[in-house]
Amino acid sequence: MASVPHTHDAVVIGAGHNGLVTATVLAKAGLKTLVLERAPRVGGCATTTDLVPGFRCPTLAHRVAFDRAVARDLHLERQGIQIIEPPAHLFAPTDAGPGLTLWRDPARTARELERFSMRDAKRYSAFLVSIAALAGVIRSVQQRSAPRLDEIGMADLATLLRTARQFRTLNATDAYRLVRYLPMSVADMVGEWFESEPLKVSIAAGGVVASAVGPRSGGSGAALLWLAAQGGHPAAPGWPVRGGPGAVAEALLRAARAAGAEVRLSSGVQRILVRDGRVAGVVLDSGAELTARLVVSNLDPRRTLLDLVDPVEVAPELRERLRHIRMRGTLIKVNYAVSSMPVFRGTQSVDAATRAAMTSGCVRLCSNLDALERAFDQAKDGQLSDTPWVELTIPSLTDPDLAPEGQHVVSAYAAYAPIARGGTRPTLDPEVAADRVTSIITRYAPRFDTTIIARQVIGPHELERDYGLTGGHAFHGELALDQIFAARPLLGWARHRTPIDGLYLCGAGTHPGNGVTGQSGALAAKEVLAAERGRREV
Amino acid sequence: MTQSSSVQRSGQTAGPRNDRHLRTISAVATKQDYDAIVIGGGHNGLTAAAYLARAGRKVLVLERRAVLGGAAVTEEVFPGFQFSVCSYVVSLLRPDIIRELDLPRHGLEILPLDGTFTPMASGDYLWRMNDHARTRREIARHSRLDAEAYDEYAKAMVEMARFVKPLLDVAPFDPRTNDPRQLIEMATFGRRFQRLSDVEREHQLKLLTMSAVDFLDQWFETDVLKATMSASGIIGTFLGVRSPGTAYVLLHHYMGEIDGAFRSWGFARGGTGAISNAIAGAARAAGAEIRTEAPVARVLVRQGRAEGVVLAGSGDELYAKVVLSSLDPHLTFLRLVGEHELPSEFVEHVRHYKLRGSSGKVNLAVDALPDFTCLPGEGPHLRGAISISPSVDYMERAFDQAKYGAYSRRPYIDMVIPTLTDPSLAPPGKHVLSCFVQYAPYALASRNWDTEREAFGDTVVDTLAEYAPNIRSIIRHRQVLTPLDLEREFGLTEGNIFQGELSLEQLLFLRPVPGWARYETPIRHLWMCGSATHPGGGIMGAPGRNAARRLLGVA
Repeated sequence: MASVPHTHDAVVIGAGHNGLVTATVLAKAGLKTLVLERAPRVGGCATTTDLVPGFRCPTLAHRVAFDRAVARDLHLERQGIQIIEPPAHLFAPTDAGPGLTLWRDPARTARELERFSMRDAKRYSAFLVSIAALAGVIRSVQQRSAPRLDEIGMADLATLLRTARQFRTLNATDAYRLVRYLPMSVADMVGEWFESEPLKVSIAAGGVVASAVGPRSGGSGAALLWLAAQGGHPAAPGWPVRGGPGAVAEALLRAARAAGAEVRLSSGVQRILVRDGRVAGVVLDSGAELTARLVVSNLDPRRTLLDLVDPVEVAPELRERLRHIRMRGTLIKVNYAVSSMPVFRGTQSVDAATRAAMTSGCVRLCSNLDALERAFDQAKDGQLSDTPWVELTIPSLTDPDLAPEGQHVVSAYAAYAPIARGGTRPTLDPEVAADRVTSIITRYAPRFDTTIIARQVIGPHELERDYGLTGGHAFHGELALDQIFAARPLLGWARHRTPIDGLYLCGAGTHPGNGVTGQSGALAAKEVLAAERGRREV
Repeated sequence: MTQSSSVQRSGQTAGPRNDRHLRTISAVATKQDYDAIVIGGGHNGLTAAAYLARAGRKVLVLERRAVLGGAAVTEEVFPGFQFSVCSYVVSLLRPDIIRELDLPRHGLEILPLDGTFTPMASGDYLWRMNDHARTRREIARHSRLDAEAYDEYAKAMVEMARFVKPLLDVAPFDPRTNDPRQLIEMATFGRRFQRLSDVEREHQLKLLTMSAVDFLDQWFETDVLKATMSASGIIGTFLGVRSPGTAYVLLHHYMGEIDGAFRSWGFARGGTGAISNAIAGAARAAGAEIRTEAPVARVLVRQGRAEGVVLAGSGDELYAKVVLSSLDPHLTFLRLVGEHELPSEFVEHVRHYKLRGSSGKVNLAVDALPDFTCLPGEGPHLRGAISISPSVDYMERAFDQAKYGAYSRRPYIDMVIPTLTDPSLAPPGKHVLSCFVQYAPYALASRNWDTEREAFGDTVVDTLAEYAPNIRSIIRHRQVLTPLDLEREFGLTEGNIFQGELSLEQLLFLRPVPGWARYETPIRHLWMCGSATHPGGGIMGAPGRNAARRLLGVA
């Protein structure tokens, strides 16, 4: 068979943070690598954009937890990423009283908690220690490729044994906690530790982010732990970064280019070319064909294998399994430019510096577990929650460059958008949703609504249409027990490969797929290079 | 560290050595009235007693109530009307127990329960029968695709049940163990898992983690079919059909085996109490002594070892080499043993063990049969289970109300009419209707069960009347059992029919307390043998058999 020379060794579809990581590693290994991005900018979910001139806001994700080992391998420190460690992790205003602040300093938090419950104050640091131990085991699982369970090779066996050994490093109490918490609901999990509602709901909310689950849904414990492994506070993992998450994407772009990768913006891919079961290249939206030996998709598994690949190339059974990956997005993103710092109830009497410190992390607006569950109930019935729960950050507090002096940007996640059932997506007017979010924030921060200069709202429909997130799901698929680790994206396909030779997946829909960490991209690159080495040896 | 060191100790205790609990007189000399005292004469306590007695041990069973059986009991609640008061169908009773204890000789006779009939709000119905071809035609009436899928589903589930079943009949292994035997068991299990096909492995993983509805969505499109099938995933748990973790119990439906007929359900002639009586008969025949109206006040513990029990009322002390409790961990450890005798971490686990009952029972004595609008008249559709589960949304809404501490305005009801199969349970021409009702949360947000009991009963009757309007006029007597009644009358803490939810975090090596899933307890010579232990509730008998076999050193 005559071999046609390829224009590139590897084409990476999508310049999200994972795609850029993969491209950088491949380029560094000497592959001629091209990244194709549909949007006019890089970053995918990790972007910072101008809301109005002078106000820059994290468009989607507002915190990042870039994996340190990946950052080191890519020499990202040279690219000038500055992580901010604010004095508070979480602030939860209450209907009455001064609200609850979870400070970075656990002792200070314990003193704070005494106002709510002496028992909770005593248990809080033990909780952090225990969850940190569990998260440590999970992190080590996330940093390595997931094993295949069907044909266990030496590498898979090694992974399994390493995981087992990690598990056995836990003491008995924590080991049993780990196995019990994974299938449990976050409501039950926090109930085992704490009694005060503001603390319980603030922590539990960490297990329901983005997905179609409520705090009483089984398996939300797994989501909480899976995300907690990123570091930071277990319930609000990650950190703000100077310049917003877009700064990480820009740094990754520079790293990719420095490594020799070419990155083309405004270049959407309409089709992946397959010849004789092997990937051959891509067809651009413009109709131009690019040939490549390897194609790595940063898009979610459904979009990649169901939309971009000719149906005849994917067995019907596999197509069916892909269709059943649960990607029911519930997140609504609302970004605000405001003329003054939101002043939350309970903080009016403290000095401005303390007030700023209190709200320097995530602010979670939800009064109790029942309220959070009720918000979910409505979404489950296909409606927008009357009182959505809101998590907001005020990035300009810790990074004044993001807004003019004295003014701020507010980045808010809200849930729940109506949940799609039986393949039909409920309609949602994003402006109605945003109004509701505004009124919730105003309930806790009086007069917030009068300070709004500009507002941007991105619902599940916009997430899918404008950011390519199938189902509007921020993580490219729910972080449920049957959709993580060896089962992400599907059991038997956890190693970033696909049934098409040379076509790989590197997005959050693959293991570990847990936020802006770069881990999926790094592990995908590792798999590609391992296969490349194997190919040369043959 | 007390617990973890004891965990290892219990883990390292290889089977045959356990027997010394029974053989040797303990070092502290006390009088030994019995080899073993079993607290609780439910089907599991009786099963354990029967196995111990058959092995030649001197056994005493102490039952608080006047009747044996615990929740597997038949009582003449109203003159002439015999009810399976709590548990009402049987499917999971281990065939080994039936055979080894020769239960048919002691009066056990299982009668088939034919199918499930679901009336729908639209006036239509879904009727699945034991007759495969007819069921297929019936499902095809709702969806041709589903009729095809039904067979595939059943085939997949039977395969999965085959995979899981061996786990039922042994003490569960613990992934933290260093015991070579458990390590081998674990490795064997791992190999079996690995030998499954891709698809089977995926089903298995999904069964363990998904919601019943999500799982069924993969096969079926007919809402009422999914609703009725998903009901078996929520029975006895405080979870909704859309809650992840409910798919697993779907499998239990396919694990039933009666006289070798894999997956069929049945009645015991004479009600479920007849099962307990048959087991009691086998125990007595082997020499066990069984006392009723003999409530235990306390387990005698000295220096971390159980020496016997103190009876309530008389205050009599009875001594034994081993005490087995078939009660739930709350009663056993917090009431009968006392926190002060136990490691604090163990106590905390017992407190975290989720009992929260979610169901009630309404037993009706009726003058005639209910007449369903969607399929009027008498007929074979009344001989099976009648399921009030018209849609997935109906099921989920029932749960939503319970989440916030109210019983469902329109609950899921599983009704059977055992008198159609076994007329001896009622006077001629009359019938008994047994209605399992969910959700009825133990903890009501407002008011209490003592004042809500009759209103709850009315809710059940009103719900039934929507499908069978003649129901009100045929009721002669009504018994309403709320979760509080189940707790008071039957010793089921918080009214949980399985002595603890069958949710993933409370199964296998985590049931009832992590590290204490092999029937031993931190109190030496005190063992557990009830539904709160592996493999859990239902009239299975496996906890009692597994505990006795571990104790005897044969497993």
